[in-house]
Order: sequence, then C-alpha cells, then structure tokens
Amino acid sequence: MSRRLSLPVEGMSCASCVANVEAALKGLPGVREVRVNLATEQATVEYDPTRVTLQDLRKAVEEIGYGLRTATTYLHVTGMSCASCVETVRRALAELPGVLDVSVNLSTETARVDYLPGTVTVREMLAAVRDVGYGAEEKLEGGAALDREQEARRREIHRQGRNLLVATPLALLVMLGTFQPYGVLSRLVPEFLHNKLLLFALTTPLVVGPGAQFFVHSFRGLRRGATDMNLLYATGIGAAYLIAVVNTFWPASGFGGPQATFYEAAALLTWFILLGRYLEAVTRGRASEAIRRLMRLQPRRARVLRDDREVEVSVDEVEVGDLLVVRPGEQVPVDGVVVEGYSAVDQSMITGESIPVEKKPGDEVLGGTLNKTGSFTFRATRVGRETALAQIIRLVEEAQTSKAPIQRLADLVAGRFIFWVHVLALATFLFWYFVGYDLWFSPQTRLMLTPYTLSGASAVGFAVLVSVAVLVISCPCAVGLATPAAMMAGTGKAAEYGILFKGADAVEAASKVQVVVFDKTGTLTKGSPSVTDVVAQGLPEEEVLRWAAVAEKRSEHPLGEAIVRAAQERGLSPEDPEEFEALPGKGVAARRRGRQVLLGNRTFMAEQGISLDGLARAAEELEAQGKTAMFVAVDGHAVGVVAVADTLRETTPVAVRELRAMGIRVAMLTGDNRRTAQAIATQLGMDTVLAEVLPGDKAAEIQRLQAQGYRVAMVGDGINDAPALAQADVGIAMGAGTDVAKETGHVVLVKDDLLDVVAAIQVARATMGLVKQNLFWAFAYNTAAIPLAFGILYPFVHQIVSPELAAVLMATSSLSVTLNTQRMRRYVPPVRRRYRAEEVPAPPGAAAPVPVGR
Amino acid sequence: MPQHPWDGKASTVAAVLYLGLSLLAAFVFVALAALKGETSWSARLIGGVWVFFLTTIILMPVVIPWVRKHAEGR
Repeated sequence: MSRRLSLPVEGMSCASCVANVEAALKGLPGVREVRVNLATEQATVEYDPTRVTLQDLRKAVEEIGYGLRTATTYLHVTGMSCASCVETVRRALAELPGVLDVSVNLSTETARVDYLPGTVTVREMLAAVRDVGYGAEEKLEGGAALDREQEARRREIHRQGRNLLVATPLALLVMLGTFQPYGVLSRLVPEFLHNKLLLFALTTPLVVGPGAQFFVHSFRGLRRGATDMNLLYATGIGAAYLIAVVNTFWPASGFGGPQATFYEAAALLTWFILLGRYLEAVTRGRASEAIRRLMRLQPRRARVLRDDREVEVSVDEVEVGDLLVVRPGEQVPVDGVVVEGYSAVDQSMITGESIPVEKKPGDEVLGGTLNKTGSFTFRATRVGRETALAQIIRLVEEAQTSKAPIQRLADLVAGRFIFWVHVLALATFLFWYFVGYDLWFSPQTRLMLTPYTLSGASAVGFAVLVSVAVLVISCPCAVGLATPAAMMAGTGKAAEYGILFKGADAVEAASKVQVVVFDKTGTLTKGSPSVTDVVAQGLPEEEVLRWAAVAEKRSEHPLGEAIVRAAQERGLSPEDPEEFEALPGKGVAARRRGRQVLLGNRTFMAEQGISLDGLARAAEELEAQGKTAMFVAVDGHAVGVVAVADTLRETTPVAVRELRAMGIRVAMLTGDNRRTAQAIATQLGMDTVLAEVLPGDKAAEIQRLQAQGYRVAMVGDGINDAPALAQADVGIAMGAGTDVAKETGHVVLVKDDLLDVVAAIQVARATMGLVKQNLFWAFAYNTAAIPLAFGILYPFVHQIVSPELAAVLMATSSLSVTLNTQRMRRYVPPVRRRYRAEEVPAPPGAAAPVPVGR
Repeated sequence: MPQHPWDGKASTVAAVLYLGLSLLAAFVFVALAALKGETSWSARLIGGVWVFFLTTIILMPVVIPWVRKHAEGR
C-alpha cells in the first residue's frame, strides 16, 4: 500500500536544507521515496499510510527546523444528529490525502480542517462530506455567515416542522385506532378506526413520507460503510412497520396474534423521533447564541468622509486610513483612533465593562461598540478580519469547534456504539429465540404502554420485538451532545465577561488548576512604576538621577521608563548613550562621552566589583518600605541609589483571597529580592513566593511546580511572559485589550482585571461540572435502558419495552442533557455576583509602594 | 471529486463479501432453527431475514474499509 503526496516545505534556503529534509523524511519507517525540490519548495513523498501518518511526516520536518505550509478551513456541515455522525464526517475528511487534522463539532455544525494546500481542495472536502450523506458548505464569516446560518436554521426548522405537521394527525389517528377497544376510547372513537387495513393506510404515508429521511440518510452512509443514529431509527421504524404489515396480512405468522397491531409502534416511534428532530432544530441554534450575539454586533454600514462629504457605505468597503463619522446612538463600524470630537462609548459587549468609556482624540475605539453621547470622527486602523470583534468571534468559534480530552473519549465511545448496538441486537435476537423464549415466555406478555397481550407471539416474533427495542433504545445522541453543548455554553458565557478560552482543552485544564502563579509587575501591580527616592553619594541628587536616566534612555523596561520620566519631570534632559546593554534581571550598562554608567541591583554591582559602602544601608531601608532600590555607578564608583515603586491593582487582594477560598494555592513570581517579595506576599496572603527569578527562568519555575505534581496556571502579560504562559497547564494572558488573537496563553482576558482570573476558573469549573452531569445523564440512561430493553426484567414482569417507549426514553435522555445545559445561560460566576470591577473597594495598603522587578 | 480507487470494482468486491457472509449467517440460523425443532417455515424465513439484515449492517462498516485499504495498496 502506498500513497504519494507533495508536501509544501517552508524555510529551505540551500542544497543542504534539501538534504536535511530528505534525510529526515527518509528516516521514517514506511517512507519509500522522497524527492525534495528547492525551487518549488515541495517534498514529494511516497509512503505507506498504514505505517506512517501525515502527522509523522510533518513532525519529522518540523523537528529539524523547517515547517509545512498549512491552511485551515471551516465547513458548515448539516444533517449531523449524534456522535456517530460526528465520527463519520471526521473520518470522511481525515481520509482525504493532505488532511492533517479534523475537528467536528455537532453543536456548532462546524468542521475545522487543517490541511496541506495544493494536496487537497475545499471542494474535495465538501464532496467527501456530501458523499457520506451530509450537507456541507464552506463556512462564511461575519454578517454573511450569520445570514446563511439563520437561513439554514430557518430551513431546517421549517422542514422538520412540516414533517411533524404531517406526522402528528396520522400518528394520533393510529394511536386512537389501536387503543379504540380499550377503556373510554371504545365509546369515543368509532370502531372502524381499529381496522388494520385502515391503520396500514394511515401508517404507510407516515413511514414513507416524514420518516423517509431516516432510510435515505442511513442508506447513503451505509454505501460508504458508515453507520449513524439514523440507521438505528430506520431499523427500528422499518422493523416495527414490517412486523405490523406481516401481522395484518398473515396474522398467524407469530408476531403476537390477530389482536396485536404494531402500527402504533411504527407510527409513534416515527413521531417521537420527528418531534426530537424538530426540538433539536429549534434549540441547537440557541446553543451557539454567544457567537450569534457577537456576530450581530458587527455593524453593516459605515459613514465615511470622502472629499469632506459623509458617504454611507457597506462596512466591507471601509479601508484602513479612512476617516469615519459616528453619531450618538450609532455603532462604531470598525476599529480606529479618534481624531476629533468627544463622547462616551459603551464597550460592555466586548470588554464586559458596564460603565461607558470616555473617548477623546488619540483614544482607541472598537468596532461593534455603541456610541452614547457625542459625535466623533475617527481614523480606521483595523478592518474586516482584523478588528477586535472579528478576532474575538474567531477565538470563540475556534474554542467551540475544538474538543476537550473528555469529549474525545465520549466521541470514541459513541462512534463505535452503533456497531456494537447492532451486534447486541443480533445477540439479543439469538438469545431470546434459542434460549429465553422456551425458558420464560408467558402468554400474558405485554409490550409496555400497549393494552393487548402478545399471547400468540412465536419465538421468532418475540425475539425480533426485543431486538428492535434494543436498537431503538441504544441511540447515543445524548452522549454526543453532552460535552459539546456544555462547552459551547461555557465558552460563550465566558466571552460575555471578556474571558476568551482558546479551546475546550483550556476549559478542562483551567477547571483542574491547583496553583495560580501571578507575575508581579504589571499583573499584581499596575505596571506603571514611578521614582520615589534618590539617594546621592558624592554627586548632587539631580546628577545621580540624570546619569540613571542616561543609562535607561534606550531601555524599554517600565522601570527604565519611570526613571527617564522622573528626570524629564525635573527638567533634566538625559542624553542618549553611545553604547547600551540590558542585562535581564540585573540591570543596564551604558557609555556616554567615554564615561561608563551602571544601574542595577546588588548582584550586578558585585559582579562588576563595585563597592556599595555607605549606600547599602540606605538601599535596605528603601527596600523595607517595599520599594525597589537600584544602585547607580559611574566609572566604577557607586554614586547613589534610585528607588522606584509600583502600586497594587485595586482587585489584587480580593482576587488572591477568592482564589484561596476556592482551595487554590496562590504564588507570586518576581525578580525582586526575597526579603521584599516576601513582604508583599505576606501582605496579600500569598502561599508561595518565587523570588529573584530572572525573566528567562520563569518557565523553569513553572516546570518545577509541575514536577511537584501541581497543575499550574500562570497569569501574566502575553508578550513578556510568553514562555512561562506556554509552559503552564493554563496560561492566562491578561489585559489583551483589542489584539486578542496575537496573545499567547490558553485563556485571554480582554480586561486588566484580576477578578477575571477568578471568574475564568469559576466558569471552567462550572462548565466541566455541567459536562460531567450531562455525561452522567447520557450514560446512566444507556446503562439503565439497554438491559431493560434486552429483557432483563422480563422473566419477572412479563413485559417488554415497546419501540415507542424506547423512543420516549431516548428523547428524555437528550432532553435532560439539553435542559441541564440551558442552566448555564443564567450562570453568573460567584466572584462577579459579589463584585463588579468598578465596585471593588480599594483595600488597605493597595496604594502602598510595591517594588518593581527587572 | 476525484475518482477514489475503491470506487467501482472494489465496492463490488466488498458487496459480494458482506452479502455473502450475511447470507451464510442467515443459512446457519435457518439450519440451527431447524435443529432446535422450529417447524414453521415462515418463522425460519423471518428469523433468517432478520439475521441477514443485522449481519449485513454489522459487516458493511467492517468490510468496506478493509477492502478499500487493500484496493489502495495495489
């Protein structure tokens, strides 16, 4: 077996790259031939797909420093109704050559496909999905996607509603006809309705009309060797109908005798499933409410200034650099910067902040937000896919399309379920035919919910009935819905608070966090330090500050910026250094007009052999006050100390207290010396302090905690703390503002609010709680119902589960999962119930100085 | 949509295999039913059809991918 593919390789620049890539690929077992072309940047590989996967090829190329050019596309897949459908669609796409990874989400009806461009096309993907019996279209973005989604949803609701409308009177008549001889119905319902030929005439259009979709769908799948829930329905309905027909025309055939009809089984089974489909079509849209609400925020029109005239255009026509006018009550069409005017803008839909934010020239405005009071003109800086809103929608969509590890397991179980259900149905039939009937059959046998006895049932008729009940009752639809529905609800709810989970695995990981590590500067503190003291030795104070500012002039560190700002505020104009070197975690070294300036901590000074006599004591006193003291040395002599301090965020103490109350250990990560770090940690009630950590060692500290068996969340800013965020089980990037897609980390917080860290973990825990409850209901139903359908109670009660009762039980399971998930709509994270960001009282000591780490 | 190697002859081979095996299972059922003492031919027939039907559904998703893999390998 072999397959040939051309891999688009990135990063090759010479013949040796070609040789490297060839060698890496040839080294894999199952690779027969490799030809790498530098000019076309293609590696043509002939390989045995049973021995080596496309992922292995990709890994081999990436491990030696090159990459494969990949692309991602989203397909809108319709007609899926259970986890088996998900597995069928996933397999159909994954089997296409050139497809790297596929993730299919039932609730969002979306398939995300990562593939190698040039090896497979989107058209081929769509055809592959359609080929296994589902509808597929390329997923659109923005307003067009919303329109198409709404139209598709409307069509599906209409289709299932029409089916239900046709089925309901027919099923009702069949039921009345079946039960006509019993109880009060014998007086109310005319006798002719009990005629089997009439029941045949009423049931047939129901099965071949509205019920035909199940047969058509399962046949399409079976042609490709794929089985899904429709097959269970089709088998159940088909078998019940055929039994009824056989019993009508050959009453002595052994299916219960002349008094048994079974038309009600076929009719009610069809009706219940159609009702389930209709309710599913109505409620499924609600599950993706978060996305739709975000999409609805996307404005459609914009007022652009062209030749000093306001022209109303479609928002798609707005370009970067255009000047746009926004009036009171209007939506801001795209992202931009205010150039004229003044107003208050409600940004709650994006950031979760409930108080409108003032906007003046120079301030940033976000597309989709609502202008409240004044008019303003702004210049577009980001349009289309680049706006903050578009990025957030993409992120939430991606999270909702991805799968948590727990969901992969559930899908695997459900995906294999149909096969094993049929095996079980066959085993049930054989058992009751060859063994059970002779041992336990009683002439008093009844189908549950039916009035007549099955005294005339033969062994084969009885065994077929029991195996049909097993088929119908085993549908794994609730299992398939349990996790994605809860994940969608959870990630959507989080987005309402400006908390963006980048995937379902992030939700699962966040729910299990045991330790939260906060980076200190800019996270626990406001990150805007200022100079508080200057101690001079041998030089005037101003001179010491000026030299410190010269050393820091080219630094981009907040600490350096504070010193330069302090010098400028005192009327000093620090000159640019001719040489500059930053030594992370230690200090800076610079040279100006032949003089060397050093600014840094004790370690740095000791390394440079500079004596701190006379200044060390002053520095200790400043540090005891919670300030960061830095020594200034000019030409090898210490000339002073500059102290800088930051202030804690108002929400810091509350966030730490809330996390500890949730049973989570809280740690602080800082470059400060141990003594001052411990002072702050004690003030905040932190459990652990990781002090004197150089920026490059942050990830190692996280790793050390993980090695102790903790599941760690790291909270920091997405750029400076990227390695530590990536190392943590959950990286939480704070204060992303408007460029969320660029942020590293598994969770992105739009606002600069530490309480959102608490809220993120609370939402994650609530979501996973919901997932577990849903899985319990789904599996408990199957675990309990299958033995019941198998007839485990039959020897004692002489009743077997009727196909229509099986359908009721199956629908109940799905409904319990759906209703349980709906509870998430009213969920408010407890921390947000107690505090709103703007209501958090400034705690005592919050304004106290806090040292600044380098 | 490109023509897959398993289209055409391979799907016929797969159909012959799963239908053949299902038919065999149905015959085995009929024979065992006769041994059990089932006298009604209609019961044997109905049971045989039901076994054939279920076995076909069980075998199709197993046999088709298996034949497809072998067809690709050639």
